[in-house]
Amino acid sequence: MDVAQALEDVLEELVSIQKDVNKLKTASVSGQPLRKRIKDTHKNWLPVVGVLETGNIVDTAQLQEVATAWTALVKLANSPSPKKQHKALLKVIITKTESELLHKFIKGSAIQTIGDPLRKLVQPIADPELLKYLDESIRCAETNCVRASVVLAWCAVAHMVHRKLTSLGIATLNAEFAKMKADKGLMFKAFTKDYVFSTDPDVQEAADAHLILLCRFLTYLDDTQYKHLKGALDLRNGCGHPTGYQPDPVKLQAYYADITQLVLLNPKFA
Amino acid sequence: MLDKLKADFDGIIELVSKTPAPLQETAFKMILEQWFIANTTPKPAPPPTAPPAPLAPSAPAAPGGVPDLVKPFLTANAITTDILEKVFHPTGPAAQLLASSIPGNGKANKLVSLSLLLCVKQALESGSFTCTLKELRELAVHYDCYDSTNFSKTLKANKNYYNPRDKGADLELSGPGRKKAGEIIKSIAAGE
Repeated sequence: MDVAQALEDVLEELVSIQKDVNKLKTASVSGQPLRKRIKDTHKNWLPVVGVLETGNIVDTAQLQEVATAWTALVKLANSPSPKKQHKALLKVIITKTESELLHKFIKGSAIQTIGDPLRKLVQPIADPELLKYLDESIRCAETNCVRASVVLAWCAVAHMVHRKLTSLGIATLNAEFAKMKADKGLMFKAFTKDYVFSTDPDVQEAADAHLILLCRFLTYLDDTQYKHLKGALDLRNGCGHPTGYQPDPVKLQAYYADITQLVLLNPKFA
Repeated sequence: MLDKLKADFDGIIELVSKTPAPLQETAFKMILEQWFIANTTPKPAPPPTAPPAPLAPSAPAAPGGVPDLVKPFLTANAITTDILEKVFHPTGPAAQLLASSIPGNGKANKLVSLSLLLCVKQALESGSFTCTLKELRELAVHYDCYDSTNFSKTLKANKNYYNPRDKGADLELSGPGRKKAGEIIKSIAAGE
């Protein structure tokens, strides 16, 4: 069953019923056709609730609240009943179904299937060090821990950037940082930090923002690529610190597309 | 290929002339697009002549370019790589929609624009101008243009943009849909 489609159909009919109830000039809903439509719509709702109950996408308490409101509405529809009560119940059912069931279902089903596109993106990567982070990141995404997924995937990026930069040799790396500091070009004039590394692990202490700027300086990235990688780092920082931002699966997929293309599968970083 | 196009051109014009005058431009574009799809073959690799020495190491090659099947669509709608790059990144497999907001007034118009853009995104991925309703719903929620009670109605009201389909089936762009998608891409790239 296409649950989203079925919920949309139920909502469409409920909104139509709501309009007709609002139009009534009587104080009660007494017409047989309108009451029958309520019961028929309830019959269409029952299989959907069955599917939602067996899954774990939507909150059981919210589902129960909507189900209780439905029971009360169908009871009202059994005989002529006050319009006011109909209106109140219809409002609860429509609002909750839309925001707490349908929207949550769509986002939840996106989470359930997010692993496939992410695995497809990282499929060409063979490096076990990178796969260690990426596999954990994807498993986080599949359990709806999107922020953790973003942070772990960045670990793979940072690992590759560190490895590439340290492969230059510490002396060369120090010299390139000094050259970048001296560069007064638009892109680099704001960089004023002195970095003097003694060993490879020292590089891990440098800010990722500075390391990727050096990658731009060394032309491993062009301006556009750098801009997108900086965007990915900003997302990682937003997820790795206490903020109110909660990226959704769509954002995560775009982030993965960027980091794989810009670094993880970029031959310049090989 | 140019010789073959010259040979086929009269036939194409004859076909176009059979359509009503207001539709002739669209018909011409659609037929030409299909002609290109049928006749485009992968270009042979350029000879390994030494390129001019770069002043600095070149930027990494983009992994995968625009699929050949999408090129006629781009040509017919006068969409350059520069324009496309402002809307999708990368402009090939794994393409992502760059727009932070979707053009259109109201949720319905935005939903239609989004569906057209997603079909082009899929074309950049696989060459087919299609989009699943599941993906459309997910992206519509993301871009805040999902109106559950009007989702089906909106798609039905704009059915000329999609090839005929059963309820719940994937969307596939029709000729007018491709033309509209081209307009949307250009308007996003122009910052409108």
